[in-house]
Order: sequence, then structure tokens, then C-alpha cells
Amino acid sequence: MAEQAEDQEQDVSKSAVQQPAMDAPGGGGPVAAESSEEPEAGDEAKAGVESPSGNRSVEIGNFRVFMDLRLAEFDMGHCKAYSADNLRRNEGSAFAIVADPALPTRFDLINFFTGVHLAGQIDLLDSEIAHWPPFGRKTMVLFYEKPKGGRVAVKSEKKKLAIDEHDLGSVVVEPLMNVLQALGEKGLAHRNIRASNLFFADPLREKVALGDCAGGPPGYDQPLVYETTARMSADPAGRGIGNGTDDLYALGVLLAELGIGHLPLNKLSDQEIMDLKLSKGSFQAIASQERLPLILIEPVRGLLCDDPEERWGFNELNAWIDGRRTKPVQANSEKRAARSQNLSGRDYYTVRALAQGMAKNWVASLAPLRDGTIEIWLRRGLADNDRAKALADAMRQLQWAGADKRSAEDVLIARAILIMDPSGPVRFKGFSSMVDGFGYMLSYDVQHGRGPQRFADVVVRDVPAFWFGRQEGFSPEVHRLQQLYKNLRYYIQQQSAGYGYERCLYATVRNQHCLSPMVEQEFVVEISQLLPALEIAAAEASEDTWPVDRHIAAFIATRLEDDVEGQLMAMQNPSDEVEYSRAIISMLAIVQWRHGPDNLQNLSHWVARLMEPAVKVFHSKARRERVENEIPKLAKRGNLVELYNLINDEQERRKDQSEFVEAVAEYSEAESEVFDLESSGPARLELAEKVGQQAAAFASTMIALLTVSALFLMHMF
Amino acid sequence: MARGKKQKGGRSAFSGLSVIASAVLLFMVALPTFITLTVGLLPSMAAFMFDRSPGRTMARCVFGLNFSGVAPYILELWQIPAQTVGGATQQIFQPLALSIMYGAAGLGWLLYLAMPPIVANVLNLSAQRRVGELRKTQRGLIKTWGDSLIKEVDRSGN
Repeated sequence: MAEQAEDQEQDVSKSAVQQPAMDAPGGGGPVAAESSEEPEAGDEAKAGVESPSGNRSVEIGNFRVFMDLRLAEFDMGHCKAYSADNLRRNEGSAFAIVADPALPTRFDLINFFTGVHLAGQIDLLDSEIAHWPPFGRKTMVLFYEKPKGGRVAVKSEKKKLAIDEHDLGSVVVEPLMNVLQALGEKGLAHRNIRASNLFFADPLREKVALGDCAGGPPGYDQPLVYETTARMSADPAGRGIGNGTDDLYALGVLLAELGIGHLPLNKLSDQEIMDLKLSKGSFQAIASQERLPLILIEPVRGLLCDDPEERWGFNELNAWIDGRRTKPVQANSEKRAARSQNLSGRDYYTVRALAQGMAKNWVASLAPLRDGTIEIWLRRGLADNDRAKALADAMRQLQWAGADKRSAEDVLIARAILIMDPSGPVRFKGFSSMVDGFGYMLSYDVQHGRGPQRFADVVVRDVPAFWFGRQEGFSPEVHRLQQLYKNLRYYIQQQSAGYGYERCLYATVRNQHCLSPMVEQEFVVEISQLLPALEIAAAEASEDTWPVDRHIAAFIATRLEDDVEGQLMAMQNPSDEVEYSRAIISMLAIVQWRHGPDNLQNLSHWVARLMEPAVKVFHSKARRERVENEIPKLAKRGNLVELYNLINDEQERRKDQSEFVEAVAEYSEAESEVFDLESSGPARLELAEKVGQQAAAFASTMIALLTVSALFLMHMF
Repeated sequence: MARGKKQKGGRSAFSGLSVIASAVLLFMVALPTFITLTVGLLPSMAAFMFDRSPGRTMARCVFGLNFSGVAPYILELWQIPAQTVGGATQQIFQPLALSIMYGAAGLGWLLYLAMPPIVANVLNLSAQRRVGELRKTQRGLIKTWGDSLIKEVDRSGN
């Protein structure tokens, strides 16, 4: 393996020079600039060892990855491939795919494919989160078995087709159907089916295998033409998880690409492709621009059917492979208006095209909505009274809008778009994402400088609820999304730590790493990785910062099995230092108790420094002193649970509290009595005078009695 | 209330009448004793006349000691077999006897004046000692519970 890697050194170095942005997180995007440079001298130490041949390498799990040996032919979308050695097994050859840390990977697919051999999919051997020196931070690295036949070469006009068009059924469709069926049984979708992600599984090139589908958001790397008419207008990161029918559509485009030898409609811009597909339907759009081989017309027409219900499934594909005829499908079910609707100088004939036009011309689309032009067009041009009525209802709701008229107008446009394209993405002032792609879209926005505001606007204004309302029939998937959305709306409406967009992010994207500045470089995906990452951060943490910020609180609340709502409630009021610090220490202690590690010396010392407010939970000075003396001892042992137990001894706390209450009462009584004594001087003088006079009278009377008695006695005796 | 006052007034009138009746009876039965008592208890009578305070404590003070000063001379008078007005007059107008009787009345008055300040001092001393004890207890509580105790007391007071 190492030898092979060394053999490829020359080519690799060339490709590395040609594409410097490849080594950058963010796919050469905003995050890429700083790390696209070669690692500095200091980074080399992190880069691990230098192999005998002079290549820098890094050991990741059971593999050694050669950072200088790029394998450009195995690049999969935005993920770059590097040569790798399997340190545990001699047979086979592996390569590493380094995911962009600024894009979340797909947890369910990594879980499904790891260690499983599935015909039609290249073998995912393992996945690790590891420090990747060119990025200068940790990221996800996926290890794949090298497909033995190399990448499927799409024919150029002068070269011969890599796969004979008559063999496409057995070489391409059969193995891919196997993958799609296996995924479908688990309710998953590949969403990365395209010619540039296709490899020959064997040296004889008799079967193909799909490349990586887990290294980024679903559909992120797909060319626009591979996306269905419903999903193509969403931003790449928000194209959504999708389902098997989306994969079958992509299979149709794949067959078309393999048949014609290049990416269909590659001469058109994305906007032109969208317009063409929306006006003519997907199949007609391709068939009108490209010369499809005769044998492929039938499956491509069936697979590119824009109605998912009518689209070809496995039965039809099997029938086609077996040479049987299948029922013909209507290429384009989209109704075309008799007259156009003009918007910003462009004429639109279909509702979907108009919806897309409105999304692109947000401000200009308000006027024709408000003056009823679009409603009339729907009634007269398309005879679509249902949509017209829904639009009229939406406009009526605008009249009930309160002070925030502008916001209500934006909601009207968003609703009008959903009325006209209910299966499309949720679009709102530049935001465009499928509902099942909200999480990935939010992740992309947050990590690429756009921030969470667009997502928050959509959720706060409850636009997705309208999307759910426009879906026809019952779908378990839609129902599941609806439940998830309810939670998201609740989270985003809460302002305190542990909620907000951060919670939405971790609740919707399972493999989203924690974006807290304290641990982001450590790429914490699992809750068990959090404390070790914080332990590293604790070594350089400033004294006045807390080890739990909004991101970490939301991450713990989402990933931890235990309920931490109580702690989050306590964190709602940072001014209550005692409860705030107790809640933070409690959360960290639960995480350590559940997931370890046992010794967290730096973090314990960090927490110990911040325990001063928590110590105040005890009123008694003696107890406080005892706790303060105990804290450094326990911090040395690195056990947060013991630290937490120290301040959370319920029996001791209750005793302290009851004694304190008694002490307060005693003090108050004493104070009250002192006040009475000090303020009762005149009254006491008055009393003294009265008592004194009475005492004098009594004494005088007694003296008289004694005198008389004495005289009588003296007289008698 | 009015009824109570009336009853009190009635009882006072009754005791006044009984004193007058006793005095008339004494005048008729034992004139020398009456003279001795009348002259000897002049300060008390003056005190009863001028003391309008409730309970007439000053008059009672003066009377008690005044009577103690008169009582020996009454007994001395009673020891003479033939009690005469002259003997009584001779006995009573001796300077020493008058000094003893009126001096005793004066002592009664001094007792009345001196007793309230003494009681006031005793009460003040007792209050000061109690305040000291309470302050000590509070200091002990603060030492045990710290400033949070004061804060809590202030908070609950507010």
C-alpha cells in the first residue's frame, strides 16, 4: 500500500498544486483561506511521522494516512482523497476521504455502511475523528476500500463510452438497485448518485460501485441537473435527506449522462436548467437538448418523471432489465397556463416556475400578489381555483396582520410560493431549504458566516407550518418532520442557554460537531468526546469564563441520555450565581458520570475555580470552610462527580438550610427585643415611677404595721 | 365606666363618712386619744387632702410612717390610768414628740420621692444587661453564619 502511495506521489503533488483549496475546510469557501497554505513548521510536529520515503503521514486509528499523497481520482465531491495504509490488514488497499470540518457528515449512513460489504457501494472500512494537520484541526476521516476498476470514465466526444449502453442495465442499474434497496429497507437515501461518484468495482469493469455519500450534507455535491424539480431550487446544503425516489431520479440522470457521455445540460447555467426543467419537465428538458441513446429513452423517461408517485421504481427497472415493456409515464404533469404571468420582466407559464421566480424576485413579487394579479392568473390562466382560493385566504390573513406589516408581507410571499410549489423547498428572503434539510442548511449558514438569522426568521414566522399544511395525504415522514419542527420552534423561541438555534442545530444534525469556540477545533461529535476536549481547553482557559457556553449546553441537552431540563432552567438566570454554577457543575458531572473519563484534572481545577458561587449554597461558615478546603483536594483527583457531590449533599444542605432559618429567626427576635428595650426608656421611667410609688406605699404600710405590732408586743411582754 | 366611677365615688364617700364617724365616736369616747391622733397625724391629713393621684400612694407613704411615729405616744397615753385632755396636750406638745411624729411623716414623704428613681435604675440596669446578652447572641450567630445571615434578615425585613 505504501509503495502504491509512493508511486502516485508525482501525480498527487501535481494535483495538489493545481487545487490548493482542496486542503482547506469549507471546500475553499470562506473558511478555507487561512488553511489552504502549506502547514508551517510548527504544524509538522502535529503531522506525525515522516515516512522513509519522505512523505509526511499521520496515524489515524488502524490506518496511516499520507498527507502528501493525494489521490485526486478518488476525490468524492468536496471531500479529498489521500493515500492510506491499513496497519492491521495486509490484503486490500485503502484510501482516506477527509471530510470538510465545516460541513456535517451523515451519521446514519456512516453507521449503515461501516464494515459492511454491499455490492454497488464501495466498502467503508472505518471512520475516525482525527487531527488533520493541513486543516490544523480535527475532522472526520472516512476510510474506503479502493475500487479495483477505478473511476468510471465518462466518454468524451472522441473517446469510446466506458460502458456499452446495452450493458448499462447489468453493469450500472443492477448494483445500484441493490444499494438503493438496502438503503430503502432502513429508510435511508444515498443522495450522492452521479457519474462523477461512480467507480468500477472490479478490474474487469463488469459492475460499478457508488462512492462516498456520508462525507457531507445529502445532495450537497450533486450537480443541479441530478436534483428533482422539487429539490433543485433549494440551496445545495438544504436539499434535504430525501428518499428513495430522489435516488431513482438521480439514477435516471446518471443513465442519461453515461448514455450521452457528458453531464446533461452542462452548457446551461443552473438558472437555465431550473427554468427548462420547470417549463418542460425533467425528461423533456434533457431530451430536447441532448441526444439520448434510443435504448435509454424509456428508463430515463420513467426515472425522470417529475411526479414521485409515477416515477419508475424497482419493479419497472427490473422489467426494463429483463427486456419487458412497462407502462408509459407522462413526462410532464405540470399544467401550463394559456397565458403568461409576468414578474420582473419575465413571463411564467407554470406555477412552479412562477414560485421560483417569486423566490428570486422577492420584493417585486409582492405587488402582483397584493393587487390580485396572480390570483386572477391562477383562476383564469390555469383554472386552478384551489390554489387561487388558498392564495386569497393568505392575502386575507395579511389584512389581520398587526403592527409588523413588513413581516406579514414577507410571510405572504413565502406562503404564496408554498401554495404554488407545495413540494418545493421553504423559501424566505433568500433562504431556500427543504424541510428535511433544515438542519444541514442551518449548519452550513452558521459555519459559513451567514449566521442563524435566516433559519430563525423562517421558524419564528412559522413558515414551515404552512408547508406541512399544504402536504396532501398522510406520510409518516412528513408526520415525523412535523413533530421535529414543533420542537425546533419551541427551542428557537427560548432565549436561554441550552435552547435557541444551537439546540436546533444539534437536534437536527446528528453528526454536527460542537461549535463552541472552546472545543470546535477538537471536532466533538459524540458526547463522550466533550469532556476530553474541554480538558484540553481547560489548560488555557481564562479564569472568568465558564466551561459551559450556549453551544455546549445545547450539545449536552441533545446528546446526553439524561434529562437536563432542570439544569437548563437554572441556567436561565445567570445573575443567580449559586444556581447557575451548580447547574453547570451538575451537567458536567453527569456527563463524566455517564461517559468518563475518570480523571479530568484541568477541567476539575477550572470548575474548582468557578465553584466559589456554588459554595455559597451553604450558609454556615464552618461548612463553607470545610467545602473550600475539600475542593482543591477533590480537584486534584480530577473527579467532577465528587466535586458536585460536595456541594450537592442534599441532607447536609437541608440541615444547613433549616439551621439557617432558625438562626435568622433567632437573630430577628433578638434584634426585635433589643429594639424594644432600647426604645422603651420613657415607658420604663413611667413604669418605674408607678412601681416605685407603689413600693414606697407598701413599704410605708409594712413599717407602720411592724411598728404597731412591735409596740403591742413590747407592751404585753 | 360611668357606673364604675359612680361606684368608686360612692365607696370613697363611704370610707370618708366612716372616718368621720370613727372620729366623732373617738371624740366622744376617748377625747385625749382623739387629740393626740389629730395633732400627730396632721401631715397625713394634709397629704390625703392634697394628694389627688390614683391610689394616693404619697398619702399612704406619709401616713404609714407618720402613724409609726404617733403610735408610741398613743400607747404611752393609754398606759396612764386617768386619761385627761391636759395630759394628752402636755404630752403631745413636747418638741421631741412632735419632732418624732412629723419627722416620721417626713421620712414617709422622702421614701415616696426616693423609691421611683431606685426602681428606674434597677429596671434600666436589668434592660442593659439583657441588651448585652442579646448582642452577644447575635454576634455568635454572625460568627457562625456570616454576612449571609444579615443579608437574609435584611431581605426578610424588607
